Formats: sequence, structure tokens, C-alpha cells
Amino acid sequence: MTTIVRIARKELTDLVRDGRFRVGAAVIGSLLVVSLGAGWMQVRDARAHLDAAQATARDHWESQGEKNPHSAAHYGIYAFKPRLALSFVDHGVDPYTGTSVWLEAHRQNDFLMRPAQDASSAQRFGTLTAAGVLQHLVPLLIILIAFGAMAGEREQGTLRQLLATGVGRRELLAGKALGISAALALLVVPAAILGATALLVGSGATGSLAARGAVLVVVYLAYFGAFIGLTLAVSAWAPSSRAALVTLLGIWVVNGLVAPRVAVDLSSALHPAPTAFEFSRTIDEQMATGVRDILPPDREAITQALLTEHGVDQVEDLPVNLSGITLQASEEFGDRIFDLNYGQLWDTFERQSRVHETLAVAAPLLAVRALSMGLAGTDVEQHRHFAAAAETYRRDLMRQMNGDLAQNSRTGEQYLAGDELWASVPPLEYDAPELAWVLGNRALSIAMLLLWFLGAMVAAVLSVRRTRVA
Amino acid sequence: MAVRTILGNEARLLRADPALLAGLALFGAVFAYALLNGAAWVARQNTTLEDVRAAEVERSAALEAELAEIAAGAEPASRFRDPRSPTVLGGNRGARTAVLPPGPLAALSVGQSDLRPYYYDVSIYTNEQTFLQNGEVENPLNLMVGRFDLAFVLTYLLPLLVIALGYSVLSAEREQGTLALTLSQPVTVRAVVGARLLFRASIVIGLGVGASLVGAAVSGGFGTPGRVALWCGAVVLYTLFWFGLSAWVNTLGRSSSWNATALVGAWLALVVVVPAMVNIAAGLLHPLPSRVEMISTAREASNEAVNSRSELLARYLEDHPEMAGAVVADVAGTAALSWAATVEVDRRVAEVAARYDEQLAQQHSIVRRYRILSPALLAQELLNDAAGSGDVRFADFDGQVRAFAEAWRAYFVPSILSGGVMTSEAVAGRPVFTYRPEPFTGVVGRATGPLLLLLLSAMLVTVPAIVGLGAVRGAA
Repeated sequence: MTTIVRIARKELTDLVRDGRFRVGAAVIGSLLVVSLGAGWMQVRDARAHLDAAQATARDHWESQGEKNPHSAAHYGIYAFKPRLALSFVDHGVDPYTGTSVWLEAHRQNDFLMRPAQDASSAQRFGTLTAAGVLQHLVPLLIILIAFGAMAGEREQGTLRQLLATGVGRRELLAGKALGISAALALLVVPAAILGATALLVGSGATGSLAARGAVLVVVYLAYFGAFIGLTLAVSAWAPSSRAALVTLLGIWVVNGLVAPRVAVDLSSALHPAPTAFEFSRTIDEQMATGVRDILPPDREAITQALLTEHGVDQVEDLPVNLSGITLQASEEFGDRIFDLNYGQLWDTFERQSRVHETLAVAAPLLAVRALSMGLAGTDVEQHRHFAAAAETYRRDLMRQMNGDLAQNSRTGEQYLAGDELWASVPPLEYDAPELAWVLGNRALSIAMLLLWFLGAMVAAVLSVRRTRVA
Repeated sequence: MAVRTILGNEARLLRADPALLAGLALFGAVFAYALLNGAAWVARQNTTLEDVRAAEVERSAALEAELAEIAAGAEPASRFRDPRSPTVLGGNRGARTAVLPPGPLAALSVGQSDLRPYYYDVSIYTNEQTFLQNGEVENPLNLMVGRFDLAFVLTYLLPLLVIALGYSVLSAEREQGTLALTLSQPVTVRAVVGARLLFRASIVIGLGVGASLVGAAVSGGFGTPGRVALWCGAVVLYTLFWFGLSAWVNTLGRSSSWNATALVGAWLALVVVVPAMVNIAAGLLHPLPSRVEMISTAREASNEAVNSRSELLARYLEDHPEMAGAVVADVAGTAALSWAATVEVDRRVAEVAARYDEQLAQQHSIVRRYRILSPALLAQELLNDAAGSGDVRFADFDGQVRAFAEAWRAYFVPSILSGGVMTSEAVAGRPVFTYRPEPFTGVVGRATGPLLLLLLSAMLVTVPAIVGLGAVRGAA
């Protein structure tokens, strides 16, 4: 044990004195500080904007004046996608999803106003976020400080000496890994503390957020661990430190640049999404004629049933407003059409996400990215979660409007409702999903990351066992 | 003579280096893959546009058929969708689709085309909110990552090939002890390193430009040779920048591994970190105004407009006295009333949009200034612009659609105000949208700045390299 600690201490001292580590850690450290600070400010401002927008939208709804409830349903209300406090670490897909949706009668609308649509094309290079630094730059730092850990000792002839003093190969490996980890901790621990502080200041973190944050830290530690193991394995396996560096840089390029884009092409080739045109045309057609067992409501049958139920001959004599009843029936028909089409679309997106996650077998970044976005609340699945909540809210709103129309007026009557009805509609309350939900969604990524972590450890042990001494 | 010998030796070295050959072959495959990807994306867009056009033809045919039936005495299928009404024929039912075809070199660069709408249904209700719609249905995750197109390979990966070919062009000679030997021949360091780098640069440029030309040829991009030339010019200058940087780093007299580290560091800084920093700086220092205001204004305006339609119509007629005689005061006048409300809402939304667009343009022009910090930002903008998948082409298209919507309204509004009845001639007479490609001089005008900056960047690293090479001595 003491041998391992001694080796680790020596490695740490070497690294801390090494210019490459100092420069790299200083650069990455400042980028982390900048990205955390900027992200935090951005999320704070975005949340303030969204709160104000939501309040204004509510105000518009409540002060719309006297109207028929169905006119009010057409006027509808806007919902704005909230941002989780943790999203300052990882913006995820947020710039590419719409931020607001119009909840109106008869139709489920798309989320509009993607921030990226207003940004210039430079945006496509990506914005500096803490997640980006942790996913791309920290692994590069690990490679730069550790590619020579084994190969370098061999080239300098110190490996033979070391092993001759009775140090076991596994002890050597453990010591090296520990030393590199300790050096990295000098960078990562302050960053994690800074991030946690920012989270506390930003939101008075709830237990759920704290749990997400804690898991996020574990995820990144596992990722770094996998890279340390991988780097040591390659360093021990490669014939020279130069070969080790070239191999590792190749892995880094594939991991960070090539694999993510290949995943994009592969996912859309395997699970093609409909074009915008096909999607809206399908919905229009199905809304007109129905599909399979989802058929448009039969107004005649509804009318007859009501007449029979209330024992009257004319719709004017019904104690309810027929319009309210048929409007609600057509809402429910539409809802099933939307569930079918949007359900298929979201499922396609989820299958595409699975392709990204599966490719993590070749690039751990894909697993870490999925987990990081998931925990920060900025992945596609959590966008869907909010979209579903907004849609449920729309349906409740329509039911309330149609119900009021049906119950408080008679067929054919001019009926106006007022502020009281608008105010009685509860505001949209949205709770982000719990940690368990996120992790359940990302089980594949967890497995992949674990596989990489353990695989890298095993590879390092095997590789060190076989490494040539000179 | 000497240079020819060096070039001959270079070619022999290349043939004898399996790793290098494998690397070049790999890049060839990567280029092919990127081109196929880009072509698939263009094909998808073209299929959509065919569907869109077919749907429009279908819509027109249905309208004409229904109008013919009504003329023969039939009743309209629905009171709300009566094609004789100008608000129906001019509205969504009779809408024409304005289409932006994929750019001339779209297969080479997906650019912004997966994000921005490339067709709009234009009706009398087209207003600034219309332009808020999303583009193609696409997984946000895929949008975030971006596609593996040729522009990506050229901007991100090609510099790595350059670095691999150039990082030890001089330092390896010194490390192997062959530098002194080489210099015992009647050649200068400048000639040796220059010739070696030019040889390698011509391979990389040949590969990059060759792939671009193949892509352009396959996708019919040679119809616009100027754009092809602009694209190739950007590729050449960008590649030369990275070769120049490699040469310069070599003159610093450090070891090959130091050179490699420095060059990879430079790549990381210029291609990955600086653009990301520029984006975050732009977001913080020059935040985009919020689109929410546009929605709020539209909502307020429509709340108010509904309650004051008669007043609005009166005001509208004051502004457009030529219409006053046409308005009928009977029931049909309700169409005129609600049109007045629509115009009022559009006007107020347009005000907010104009303010927004001004702020947006200002923000973009500031961000464009930061391009000077990274050749990758310059190259990306040039490539997108040359390919016709950059921001400007989409903004230009939006502008043309706005103008078309004006023409559309001018066609229908007199009938709306006078309660006119539309016929099948009116269907055929609806304005037609024709996309006018931006004149190439406009593209050149925009590209000159970034091209010169790219040239300047290349010279900034090449000149010290040439000077430095003159000072290199053979002894280690």
C-alpha cells in the first residue's frame, strides 16, 4: 500500500512541476470558471425572462374580457418552457428546442422560437459550457499528462529499475493512476465546489436538484476514470510514447468529433423522422377522415343520444348546450390523433437518442453527454416531458371551456363568459421529473459508462502485465 | 534542379510510408462519406419541395373544381370554406407556397438549412409571426451536434491532417541528424522545407479541392462556377494557413513532440475553444432580444383590436382613401371589419419585429467582428455562404417572401373590403412566387472581407516562417 502511495506522490510531484500540466490545468481551470459563471448568469436571466413571460401570458388570459368560452379557447394561452437551475452546467439541446408553445383549441402546436434560429451560424460551433470543457478538454489534459506514464518510463530505462526494486506491476499502475487522479483533483474539486455554490446561490437548491448534481459529479468522475485507465493502458501497450500519444489523440478525435456526428447520420438513417410537410399533412388528413379506429365524432348520434337521454324533441329544449358537447367530442377525437402522431414522432426521436447512446460503445463521450444533459434537465426526453405537461394542461383547459359552455348555456343561445371563468382556470404548474426517472431513461448510458470505466481498468491491468520492460 | 530532387524524394518517402498512405486513404474515405451525407440531405429537401409543390397544385385544382361546381349551381361544401370569399381564397385554403431551392452547393455544406424554414405557405394572414415557424422536423439532439458534411471535414479534420504532415518537417531532420547532411548539398533550408511543405500542401489541397469539385459536379453546382471558385479559394487559404503555422512552429527550433503539442493546442484553441468563447461572449455581452415581446404584443393587439374593429376600419380607410369607395356597409362589411383588425395586429407585430430585427442585425454584426479571432470561423462562414446554406441566403429568402405577401394582399384586399366574389379566373390570377437567386456580386462582396482576413491570417504565419527558415543553421 505504501508503495502505491509513494509512487502516487512521486507522480503527483512530477506532474505539478510539469509545464504541460500547469499550462493545461490553468487554461482548463479558467475556461471552467468562465463557463460556469457565464452559464449561471445566462440561466438566471433566462429564468427571470420566462417567469415574466409566463406572468404576462396569464395576465392576457385573465384580462381577455367577455367572450364565448370557445372564443377564449381559440384565444388560448402561451406556455413557456422552464429551465432547471442545473442547466447552467449543460445547455444541452435547449438552444435547438422551441421555448414556447401556444395552447389553443383544436390543435396541438409545436414549440416555437428556437434560440439557435436567431443566432448566427457561428453558434453551430457550440457554446462554451462547463459540460463541454469536462467532456472534451479534461480528457485531452489527461492524455497530455499521462501518455508517457508507462512508455516514458520504459524509454528512459527507469521502468526496469523500478520493477527491479520489487515494485509490482499492478502497484505501479495503481500508483500512477492515483497520482494522475490527485493532480486532476487539483482542477476538478475546486470546479465542483464552485459549481455547487453557484447552484445553491441560484436556486436555494432543493433536495432533488442536489441529488441530480451529486450524480452529475459521479458521472464525470467515472468518465475521467475511464480516460485515465485508457491512457495508461495505451501508454503501456504502445511501442513508444510517441505512438501512445498519436493513438490517444486519434481516440480523442473519434470520441469527441467523429462519433457524435456519425451518430447523427446513423440515427436518422435507421429511424427517419417524417419531414415537416409529411407530418402536418398526415395530421390534417387524419383530422378530416380519422384513421383506423379513431373516427371523427358523429354529431348526429351525439345529438340523438342527448335528445333521448333528456326526453326532448328539439336541441333548443336540452338543458345543455349541444355545441359544448360536440366541441369536446371533437377535441377528444383530435387528442387521439395528436397522441398517435406526436407519440410516433417523439418515439422516433427516442430511438434516435438510443442510437447515439449505443454508439457510446465506440465513444464514451456519447454516454456521458446523454447523462449530463439528462441530469441538467436539458435533453430531448425532458423537453418531451414538458411538452406532454403543456398538452395535458391544454386539454384540461379545453375541457373546462367546453364544459362551461355546455353546462351554463343552451343550444343556439348567445353566451358570454367573463373574468370569473378565466380566473378559475388553474395556472400551469410543472414539476421536472425526479432523478429516478432521468436515470431510468438513461440506463443504457449508465451501462455504457460503467462498461468503459471497468473496461479501461481491466485493459490497463492487462496491458501493464504484458508491457515490455525495455 | 534542387527543388525537383527534393520533390522526387518526397514522393518516394510518401510511397514508402504506409502510415501516411493509410492516413490519406482514410481521409479520402471520410470525404466520400461526407459527400454522400450531404447529397442525402439535399435529396431529402428536394423530395419535400416536390411534395410541397404537388400539394399546392392539388389545392389549386380543388379550388377551381369547387368554383366551377358552384358556378354550375352547387352549394359550397362549407360556409366557412367558401372559395368565393376572398378571405378564404386569399387565406390558408388558397395559399401559394414560396419555396427556397437548396443552395447551388448544398451537398457540400448543410449549414443552417436544417434549422431555417425553406418554404412558407403565403396567405393574406402571413405576418411577422409566420417567420417564427420552425424549419424541417429534426431531432434537437441531431441539430445540436450537426451533420457530417464536407464543410465539417474541411473545417475540423483537415487541419489535423495538415498538422500530421507538417509538424516535424524540419525538426525530424534535425532529430535524425540528417539536417546537416541535407544542407551539405547546394540547397537552402528554405528551399528544402518550402518544397517539402508545398508538396504536402498540394496533396492536401488536391484532396480537399478534388472532393469539393466532385461534390459540386455531382450536385450540379457547376451552374454557378463563381461559387465553386469561392469555395475552393476558401479551402486553399484555410489549408495554407495550417501549413504556414506548421512551418512557423518548426522554425522555433523545438523538438518534434513539442511542435506536435503546440500545433494540436493551436488547433484546439482556434477550431474548438475560440468559437465557443465567441459564442458565449456574444450571448453575454450582446444578448439577443427576447422574442417573447413579439407574442405579447400580438396578444395585446388582438385583444384590443377585436373590441375596436369599427374604429380600426375607419382609421384604415383614412390611411387608404383609395379603398373607401369600395367598402360596402352591409353584412359583407364584417369581413372588412375583421380585416381592419388583422391589419392592426400585423402592424403592431411588425413594429416589434422591426425593432427586434434591428437589434438582431446589430448583434450579428458585432459577432461577425469576432471572426477575426479564428480562421475556422472565417472558413465556416465562407463555405456556408459559397454553398448557399448560410444565414444571408435564408434572410434574403424571408425578405422575398415578405414582398410576395405584400403582392398577395394587394391582390385580395380590394375584394375583401368590397365584399367581392372570387371566381376560377381569380384562382388562376393569384400572384406566383418566383425565387430570385441573390446576384453573385452580392456573395463576392460579402466574401471579400473574410477571404482577405483568411489570406492575412495565412500570411501572418507564413511570413515569419519564411524569415525563420532563413535563419536555420544545420548544426543541431
